[in-house]
Amino acid sequence: MGELRKIVLDARELEHPKPLELAMQALRALDRESYLYMIHRKNPIPLLDLAKEQGFTLLSQEDSDAVWHILISKDPSVELHEYLDV
Amino acid sequence: MFSQNGLSLDQAPPISVVFRFFLSGALFGMVAGGLVLWYGVDIFDATSVGAVTLTHTLTLGVMLSFMFAALFQMLPVIAGVTLTTPVQKANWVQYPLVTGVLALLIAFNQSDGTLLFGIASLLLGGSILSIGVVMLSRLLRLQHHSASSRGMLMALGALMVVVLLALYLTATLTGLGSGSHYLLLKEAHYSFGLFGWVALLIISISFQVIEMFYVTPSYPSLVSRYLPMALVGILGLSTLLSLVVPWIWQVSNPLLALLLGGYALLTLKRLTERKRPLTDATVWFWRIGLGSLLLSMLTRLAFGWGADPIVGQMSYLFFTSFALSIVFAMFYKIVPFLTWFHLNSQGYFTAPMMHEVIHPKTAKQHLVIYLATMGSFLLALWIDGFIMVAGLLTILLFGWIGYQVIHAWQLYKKTQATGEKFDMQMGATV
Repeated sequence: MGELRKIVLDARELEHPKPLELAMQALRALDRESYLYMIHRKNPIPLLDLAKEQGFTLLSQEDSDAVWHILISKDPSVELHEYLDV
Repeated sequence: MFSQNGLSLDQAPPISVVFRFFLSGALFGMVAGGLVLWYGVDIFDATSVGAVTLTHTLTLGVMLSFMFAALFQMLPVIAGVTLTTPVQKANWVQYPLVTGVLALLIAFNQSDGTLLFGIASLLLGGSILSIGVVMLSRLLRLQHHSASSRGMLMALGALMVVVLLALYLTATLTGLGSGSHYLLLKEAHYSFGLFGWVALLIISISFQVIEMFYVTPSYPSLVSRYLPMALVGILGLSTLLSLVVPWIWQVSNPLLALLLGGYALLTLKRLTERKRPLTDATVWFWRIGLGSLLLSMLTRLAFGWGADPIVGQMSYLFFTSFALSIVFAMFYKIVPFLTWFHLNSQGYFTAPMMHEVIHPKTAKQHLVIYLATMGSFLLALWIDGFIMVAGLLTILLFGWIGYQVIHAWQLYKKTQATGEKFDMQMGATV
């Protein structure tokens, strides 16, 4: 499998609920060759719930600066840990 | 919606529960406008029937409805408290609340309102106390509290005290009680209502939403941890001590004013420290609300130190402006988000975007109406004729809110009826 295309959404300074709205737009545009890499100041539970319900594969991890890295892919076989920039 | 991390699908209350309280609050707001037209400038005399009727229309009919909308929405997510059967619980509260408020308003205007005071006491006391006990017991069971959940717990406790004191007052009015402490407990009733319930609930929610909505630094822990306790402590002690030291409120009122004024200044400062200083109507509603709280406390202090009675009237007017302004700020965040969120969680591809539910320009227009309304009330303190303008603008102000709720509900139902569902895994509509 080739490298996945990374779609970045830096939501750290976006006011609620803009991060969720933009992330949902990005998810709808995802294909199996791309993944969403979201950076956020919080762990976005609503987004994770919505994505999980739609069968996406996801990973959410906080780094040492209390910044959350959220990776979402359409392909369940993707090892999202490998794409984590922490 | 507004927990540390957001609303979970499992915890989201049905949209109808939140919308219906907003709608009844808007309808009572329109009634309040009608009452302003009916009573005229009599509403500025705190001892008049008009003032008492209008005050209870605003505090019970408008504010309590809006605050129940907020509580049903936020308790599950701010505090992680899940209310089972929320539709049924909303029914328990809303129907008795609406009929109880109407009974109370009519009772205030009757020469012998004994029967209606009794009915209002049963309906309002029964409904508010029972839902309050349910919410409080769930909050008390929490293992870990945030500043917001702790503050909400205390605000709900204050609401219980307000209702119990109200029952004492109505028992006196119906001849069931001797009312030997009537005047003292009346002061405790409205102090707990305005500062312990309305102000503290707004403060508790702000600890979370100011940082989250507007990306500001968080509140100092000294404030978020101890301000609610200090407010409730002062109110509780003053009420008890007033039974033996009747002048105690002359000491506690300035203390409350200093605490609330300090909170307003701090939050206004936080709003200047936003990372992306984009200004929409909700930010202005917060600024105006906090500015009003500050002015309310300053005029309250001045009145307590012997200023003209008109300064005391301004204090109540500014406090009303504080509460309504913040409620409107929250309304414009909650309604578009909930509509969008519920439709998205149901998988509707054609769900309207948040700005399509209520356009930011619509909120700005409402802000202008709001400023004109408050300006008219202020002018009416000196020029009687402005009270008619204020009454008409109040009807428009709340009619606007009611229309936005109905519009959002219609969009929601229309999308459910005609919208296409989207399976994101398949990348196609189904």
